[in-house]
Amino acid sequence: MLNGFYYGLKKFWFDLTSGDLIILFFSIVLAVTAISSVSFLGDRLQSSIQQQASVVLAADMVFRSTSPLPEDYLTSATNQGLRVAKTISFLSMALANNDNLLASIKATTSAYPLRGTVVLKDFKGEVLSNEKGTPNSGYIWVEPKLVEALNLKQNDQLVIGNTSFVVEAILDDYPDRNVGFLAFSPTIITNIADLKSMGVIQTGSRVVYRQLFSGTENQVNLFFDSVSNLPEEVRVQRLDEVGDQLGRTLDRSTRFFNLAGLFTIVIAAISSMIAARRYAARHLLNTALMKVFGASKKFILSSQICQLLIMIVLATSVGLCCGYLIQSLLISLLDELIGSDLPPPSLQPVFIGFLTSVSLVFAATAPYLKLLGEAEPIRILRNDFAFHLKNNIGVYTLAILTLTAFLLVLLEDVNLVLSILGAMCVLVIVLSVLGYFVVWLLSLYSNVSGSGWRMGLRNISRRRNASILQIVVFGLSLTFLMALTETRTDLLESWKETLKEDTPNYFFFNIQDYETADINSFFKDRLEQPITFTPLIRGRLLGVTSSSGEPVKAQNMIEREANLTWFDALPENNLVVEGEWWLSDLAPPSVSVDKDIAASMNLSIGDRLSFTAGGMSFEATVSSFREVQWESFAPNFFFILSPGLGRDLPQSFITSLNVPPDSRVANEFIERFPTVTSVDLEAALSQIRSIVNSASLAVQAIFILSLFAGILTLVAAIFSSVDQRKKETAVIHTMGATRRTIFAAVAAEFLGLGILSGLTAVLAAMLFSGFLSTQIFELNYTPNPIIFISGFLVGVTSIAVAGMLAVRQAIYSPAILTLRNY
Amino acid sequence: MITVSKIATKNQERFVKESILEVQNITKEVNSPEGVLTILKDVNLTINSGDVTSIVGPSGSGKTTLLAIMAGLDLPSRGRIMLMGHEITAMNEDKRAQVRSNDVGFVFQSFHLLPRLSALDNVMLPLEILGDKNAKKKSMEALNQIGLEKRVKHLPNQLSGGEKQRVAIARAMVKQPKILFADEPTGNLDKTSTEVISDLLFSINRSFQTTIVIVTHDLLLAKNCETMHELDEGSLKC
Repeated sequence: MLNGFYYGLKKFWFDLTSGDLIILFFSIVLAVTAISSVSFLGDRLQSSIQQQASVVLAADMVFRSTSPLPEDYLTSATNQGLRVAKTISFLSMALANNDNLLASIKATTSAYPLRGTVVLKDFKGEVLSNEKGTPNSGYIWVEPKLVEALNLKQNDQLVIGNTSFVVEAILDDYPDRNVGFLAFSPTIITNIADLKSMGVIQTGSRVVYRQLFSGTENQVNLFFDSVSNLPEEVRVQRLDEVGDQLGRTLDRSTRFFNLAGLFTIVIAAISSMIAARRYAARHLLNTALMKVFGASKKFILSSQICQLLIMIVLATSVGLCCGYLIQSLLISLLDELIGSDLPPPSLQPVFIGFLTSVSLVFAATAPYLKLLGEAEPIRILRNDFAFHLKNNIGVYTLAILTLTAFLLVLLEDVNLVLSILGAMCVLVIVLSVLGYFVVWLLSLYSNVSGSGWRMGLRNISRRRNASILQIVVFGLSLTFLMALTETRTDLLESWKETLKEDTPNYFFFNIQDYETADINSFFKDRLEQPITFTPLIRGRLLGVTSSSGEPVKAQNMIEREANLTWFDALPENNLVVEGEWWLSDLAPPSVSVDKDIAASMNLSIGDRLSFTAGGMSFEATVSSFREVQWESFAPNFFFILSPGLGRDLPQSFITSLNVPPDSRVANEFIERFPTVTSVDLEAALSQIRSIVNSASLAVQAIFILSLFAGILTLVAAIFSSVDQRKKETAVIHTMGATRRTIFAAVAAEFLGLGILSGLTAVLAAMLFSGFLSTQIFELNYTPNPIIFISGFLVGVTSIAVAGMLAVRQAIYSPAILTLRNY
Repeated sequence: MITVSKIATKNQERFVKESILEVQNITKEVNSPEGVLTILKDVNLTINSGDVTSIVGPSGSGKTTLLAIMAGLDLPSRGRIMLMGHEITAMNEDKRAQVRSNDVGFVFQSFHLLPRLSALDNVMLPLEILGDKNAKKKSMEALNQIGLEKRVKHLPNQLSGGEKQRVAIARAMVKQPKILFADEPTGNLDKTSTEVISDLLFSINRSFQTTIVIVTHDLLLAKNCETMHELDEGSLKC
């Protein structure tokens, strides 16, 4: 056995450089590069996203409630080693310099924020050093909007409720920015100790109480598990539920990475199998001869396992280095977004890299190793070096199961892996049947003019099994590449569409009916944009009556303020997924509900919801559920009332617009329409754009790796038949065929194979892309003819050119040299 | 004429003729589309140590099958082979390989040199399987003895047919086996090369008392052997 290892070690470099192992080596390098770059990137980005998410929360976990939270949670968390803080937020009038403004007051403890920082500036614009997240008692920090509106100066007095405060600093940035009703008013941070003296929180006041917790993931989980009987009104916010757009973008890009990774691995597995087959074919004589000379099965296997182990270590190391470099390149491109203080990657990608190569090598080589191990020495005397793989179904099954199990472990996405592998099996069967049929057709009609072309086309049908195998391999690779290109394009287009340049960056609230005409003309003059006013009805959900007797879970929604609207036609970015949209104004009182809210409340079509709005109570029947594109940055609603019901309710209007960030339009608007509330979303949009751009960049990088893997598979498939072709070419040449004829025959053969596989791949890729876009990425799918036409042309040309280049040496080298080898 | 008298002689002292190979009631049957086909029928044969024995017969008479079974490359359907005191028909493949690795050499009609290995590397192969640390030195010596010292780095496609077979013989003899099986060793060669290879084989036998079993169509070569057996339709002619 040791002799075998030593022999394998000695022959490794020779086998690698003589071409026997090189394609297998590169297949493994590419697969490991693709997987490790995704893994390294994911590993570090995940840390970065968690950091960003924790800044959004100002903690690792938050308990949020509209009623006071028991102090016990804070005590228990402190006892368990967690850091804790508290905030209390509410709206109140701020009075200064004989003026007043509704402000959002945030009373904090000194430990606030547990994640992120509070950035303060003085009135000259200089950043102040600040260690605490709360001012001293009697002092406040205010947002610039308040400074502008109330004409505040350093150390001015500002009154909230019964207390007068000193304005100490300008609040430039802080984590856990307000959402909901608190978001429309500028923020003031006060010390929580001053809350009592203000005297503004009364029974029935709208207050948000937060308790913030921070610690290691394990500590936070343990604490959360230890908290029993959390009241229903307490909402627990954790890192994984932050940011819809961010989440969806990352989710989709992760899915694309997984898909590209899966394709790369499957393609690499195919090229590895082809390479392993070639390796085995070229080693069959060698192995049989060694057995004749007395080498045992153990010797043969140990020498080959030794070579494969060295190759795994080398290829994985090269792949890991390439993966790390690609990841570093991407991280440096994303530096602005994610900052430079990313934690170093863990060792997990290294482990994944080795797991990838071991699984691939095992899956690809096990059947051939078994074959070589069992090669009978008698083959030497019979000159029999043909493969008989039909007795190895068990090993093949084991190899495929290994690959499937590995992909399931790696991608943790059972749906994606099984659906893609299932689709791939169907594709292989379709390609085989189609290939068989076309090869059979060719055998009937190969009598075309030109002896070279005729010979080439006849070769396709003569080498029936090899031709079908090549059609399947070429077809699979082209299908994957076209489907991936199509999916990538769809994904990038959908992101671009979501965040195009004219995406609204300003929301305007509290627009009264009589102001709409003026506002319309104001923006028409300045921005030349059409304006749509959406009715906004402030209401509350009072109760739900189930039509089916099924219990509903509406406690979280009941008594909360709910923004309602009404529409006669289904608004853009909405899709009815169940029930029907009303057809006319005369429809009975109905409500259309966001499908996720409906699911969380366990609603059914026909249930009756009772609301109150503007002092009026009314009932509406649930007539449809909608899928809402929340990331569209247009006004979207959980509840849409039918026009007959909503039109007469007290309402204001809301609109969203794209206002150029550098223009004075927003300021002019605020001066002209002081009662209208405006919300600037430009910063949030920029951040999301930046994330989407980064995700696009990463998607492109991974796509290119998959492309290389596909090309390598084509090369491997072409090289798999080169030895046979060399011999045939030499024989034909000695029989008098000119080089030109032989060249034409080879060109015809590869062109024929390219066209056959290209055509089947286009059809298959269309179906596959449709499946991926609609089922995996939840995008609308329209086939892109440019991708398919160019995919077909590039595929056919590559196969023909690569094929001709591969056998060129055989065509132009003296036939005697080739024949002497056989 | 090429001789190998200077090669080290581990078997020189064995002059007493004793049986090295006994073929007892060997029958070989294979399945074919036409049914069971009998390749060898109840073959019995004894080969003495140090003899050069030829087996002749028309194509399809079972010569190569008999050689394969005698060398332990294949198993008979029935019967027994005793090779150097080992009942190789009762051994598994690895055990038979072990017997071959030490004491059996092979020469083939198609040479079977590995096309991407040089002449030297081809000769070294059997020694590398044995883990011999002097493989290179011994292989160089073997190539020197057969006059191919200037061809050591040549690839097989750069050698003539006669040179290829000489390399193959050097490969077979480099580990100094007790018995050498040669399957049509001159079948692919011209007259001059045939004479060279024949002389080389007899010279090896004389120098080392290596037992040689030659399967051949070449009656001239066969008649020069000490013993000649003729196979016809799977049976030995008496």
